[in-house]
Amino acid sequence: MDELKFRREAYENPQRRDADFIAAMGESSQRAQFVNDLKRFDNQIEAALNIDVPTGLEAKLLLNQQLHQHQVRRRKMGFTLAMVASVAFVAGISFSLFRLGPVDLGEHALAHVAHETVAMQSSLDISYNTINSQLASLGNFANARFTEQPGRVFFSTYCDFQGVRSLHLVMQGEQGKVTLFIVPIEERMILEQAFADNRYQGEGFTADNAYMLLVAEHHSDIDNIKNEIQQTFI
Amino acid sequence: MFSLKRKKVPSPSVNNDMLSKQRRYDSLVRALHGDLYRYAYWLCGDKHIAEDITQETFLRAWRSLESLKDDKAAKAWLITILRRENARRFERKQFDYSDVEQSELADKVSLSTEDNMEQHLLRRQIARLEVEYREPLILQVIGGFTGDEIANILDLNRNTVMTRLFRARNQLKDMLDDTQTRGHSNG
Repeated sequence: MDELKFRREAYENPQRRDADFIAAMGESSQRAQFVNDLKRFDNQIEAALNIDVPTGLEAKLLLNQQLHQHQVRRRKMGFTLAMVASVAFVAGISFSLFRLGPVDLGEHALAHVAHETVAMQSSLDISYNTINSQLASLGNFANARFTEQPGRVFFSTYCDFQGVRSLHLVMQGEQGKVTLFIVPIEERMILEQAFADNRYQGEGFTADNAYMLLVAEHHSDIDNIKNEIQQTFI
Repeated sequence: MFSLKRKKVPSPSVNNDMLSKQRRYDSLVRALHGDLYRYAYWLCGDKHIAEDITQETFLRAWRSLESLKDDKAAKAWLITILRRENARRFERKQFDYSDVEQSELADKVSLSTEDNMEQHLLRRQIARLEVEYREPLILQVIGGFTGDEIANILDLNRNTVMTRLFRARNQLKDMLDDTQTRGHSNG
């Protein structure tokens, strides 16, 4: 290794350990001295570069990260909260809009009968006067009433037809019980003449200013009760 | 309702991940904050700015700790982030802090002993060194990086790095000899 290359390599890195460099260094005591001087100089540089680190920097770095993490978590929390709130809001809005939408009376009547099992098991005997007073309190048709007992009435209660207060009666037919819904007329209601599911059949008609919905297992019962109601209900 | 579901299912593993990430970060801070701070200081020449840059660097490191695959590469990785943070500083503001600092540096150190005096002189010379020579020298002396590693960090070719290292030491020696002879002749 010539002198120039040796000096250059020493300047590039006096600490180097590769065989070529070590061998070149061993060639003369001057070279060894030269490298030693440079090493000492490097130590000086290192000491000079080694400035004091501010006390507490380490703690600051850790704290900084913790605060950052905390903020991120809070931001995430806020986001989730906003999401939940908006979902609840949309649910609320759509639910109230749903209630304003058209109501299929037939379908609702079937569902109501299927769910309210208590009504079918009731064995009371309710007089038409009681029913009339219930009808009167429905508001919309103060004049509507039964003129005489329309057969045996097992059950009579108010019920909710998608937000409309109605009357729910269970009456005795020839072959089984017949459910009658008396629903005040409202614009958004859709009345079907006939409806059915696997078990029940139903019929709807308008009487005075109310929708009458009859639901029974046998069609003949519906016809009978329908006749009876048309005679007794004004 | 979403949050509940999301939180419940993966929570143990997430907690574990968080814990190990935290531990990893803590040990990185402990082991390397000194070197990183020193590097920042010699890059910008101001203690406060160096502290800010170091903080920014570690915060950024925390955010992307997942991208550090090999812990042995942590120092080089952090230095790369730090250099980017330092460059960002110049994008934000056009103040040249280092000019101010270099002239101030002279008065801050106590000159009680000859050793201190020498060290102080050397610091001043290092600060005067152009940053392209100063950076590889710091990486080699403080960072303990090889020529290849420095080339990688600085995105230079190895020969350029070696030339700059050579010139850095050469210039430092010259400047020092210069001031010393001047000092002697004056004294």
